Amino acid sequence: MKIKSLYGSVRRSLRHTKDDIQDYMNDPATQLRWKKRVGEIFIKVMRSILLFGLCFVILFPIIQQISMALRAPVDANNPAVVWIPENWSLMNIKIAVVVLDYWHSLVNTAKLSFISMILQLFSTALAGYAFSRLRFKGSNILFFFVIITIVTPPQALSLAQYLYFRNINMIGKETSIYLMSGLGMGIRSGIFIYIFRQFFRGLPKELEESAQLDGASVFRTFWNIMLPNARGAIVTVALFAFVWQWNDAYYVSIFDVSTEEFPLLTMQLINAAEGMYQALFYTGGLDLVGQNVWENPLFLALISNVSALLMMLPLLIMYLFVQKQFVESIERTGIVG
Amino acid sequence: MATVNNQTIKAPKKSGLKGHERQKRFWAAVFLAPWVIGFLMFFLVPFIRSLYFSFFTLEPTPEGIITTFTGFENYIYALNEHVIGNTSFRVELINTTMDALINIPVLLIFSLFIAVMLNMKFRGRALVRAIFFIPVILNSAAVTSALGGGEAVAQLLEEQGIEQIFDLEFYLVQAGLMPWLITFIVGLIDRIYAILSLAGVPILLFLASIQSVPKHLYEAAKIEGATGYETFWLITLPNVSPHIVTVVVYALVDTFMTSPVSMIISEELGNSNRWGESAAMAWVYVSTVIFILLLLAVFAKAFKIGGSHYED
Repeated sequence: MKIKSLYGSVRRSLRHTKDDIQDYMNDPATQLRWKKRVGEIFIKVMRSILLFGLCFVILFPIIQQISMALRAPVDANNPAVVWIPENWSLMNIKIAVVVLDYWHSLVNTAKLSFISMILQLFSTALAGYAFSRLRFKGSNILFFFVIITIVTPPQALSLAQYLYFRNINMIGKETSIYLMSGLGMGIRSGIFIYIFRQFFRGLPKELEESAQLDGASVFRTFWNIMLPNARGAIVTVALFAFVWQWNDAYYVSIFDVSTEEFPLLTMQLINAAEGMYQALFYTGGLDLVGQNVWENPLFLALISNVSALLMMLPLLIMYLFVQKQFVESIERTGIVG
Repeated sequence: MATVNNQTIKAPKKSGLKGHERQKRFWAAVFLAPWVIGFLMFFLVPFIRSLYFSFFTLEPTPEGIITTFTGFENYIYALNEHVIGNTSFRVELINTTMDALINIPVLLIFSLFIAVMLNMKFRGRALVRAIFFIPVILNSAAVTSALGGGEAVAQLLEEQGIEQIFDLEFYLVQAGLMPWLITFIVGLIDRIYAILSLAGVPILLFLASIQSVPKHLYEAAKIEGATGYETFWLITLPNVSPHIVTVVVYALVDTFMTSPVSMIISEELGNSNRWGESAAMAWVYVSTVIFILLLLAVFAKAFKIGGSHYED
């Protein structure tokens, strides 16, 4: 009896729920909501697939190169080795280090990139601030010239610049790069001025006005108030300035900066890739490997790949450290104003 | 608004304002001094000198450079006579221009699309963003040349009939996929990587400009029940459009700078007997880029792209 009534009540409540569900499903508002939710899930899935695929495309060559760098030279064309090396070895890296004169060039490249980055930061931040906030008659015309410098290819200027530096006896010295960076004419300085100008324009005017009412001079306002607030632009510009100088092979070769006493990674890498045999022969890299491996042309390709990896590795490690700030700086501020 | 406030506050003490203006002008001169000196020394003078050189034959001697006036001969040489390998300056110039005109719209749409996606909220967003800017960092002519293995190595490989095995194709063959599928995947990935390495900075610029769109616009749209599609066309796109110009300029300059055309000019520059010719080529190149930019500017004006809703 008791069970029966319980059964009945359950059935009744079940029917109620069923009716409820039916009502719920037939309600146009619900249908719309469901449609929306299905659409959302669809977008989510598509987005994940796309982003995952693109990330894979980006990361694949890097992972592959690392895997290649760590395999023994005898495995260079071993078809059985796909991802994980059969014989682990640091031999390739050792050879590439010798070929590139790695530590020496690494220190030089880091020094050149760092100093030129600081100089570029200074010259472009000052100019960007002047173009955004210290406006005067004719500053628009000057800014138009900044745009022209962005558009003009370096090749149009290189010859005359080369002759100029030759006149003042600066060919083959890194000072030529510093001079250009310090005077706001370094690698893509125009873009940096543009970024800083847009950024300073985006900062609220009240910040400045209150400082000026308190009697701060223009320079103090810039140094103590505007610059600390421009951290986003500074991080972005610093990263680009450093990386572009690090990767630059054009100016460095035109001005002949990379010499035997001052080797730079990019030029060493290009020279090594062009004449791997000579590079191995003259640097004594040959002594590190057995002759049988040496006759294998794939081995040469392998070494130039490892050399490329060695050049990129410091940048990747550096990026790992600053990427959080870098991505955040885009997020918080919007460099484009 | 801000300027009006400024005047009302400062109107009573006019002398102070004037002093401040003078101070501002002084500091503007100081701040701009390095750039102006650099511009004159390393841009304007070389720019004009290279124009001058392009009408001369240059001959470097120990005493200095001997110049002989040759009129437009260098330009005629650059456009009609120059041949290198199985290509020439003119062919490469036309190819690069066509490539740029076709690729830039694709690049624009792609980078805007990716920027919108990277702006959405999802798990792992920070990681994905960090990964997306890696190509910007690793984009180097030296690395590209080394990854090609260098000419000498490539030749050796060809002689022995071995293709480079350090690529995806090899791994896919190992995995036992069908040949046509492998060709398709490898081609696709190569192209995507090329676009991605070009798109890094445009994505960055677009992402930053989307971030700077006032948030209340999106909130209002959401309350009104707008779909994501409508929000994009009516809010995101109009607000981002001023920056389309920036991205186009950047992409155009970048395409030309990494093209075979600029390689040819550099090569001619390396040959000291051909300085005049290389200067002429550089000027042809600059005029082409500026011509395309002017064309785009007219186009943008006609279709009112690039004007902002809020400014003016």
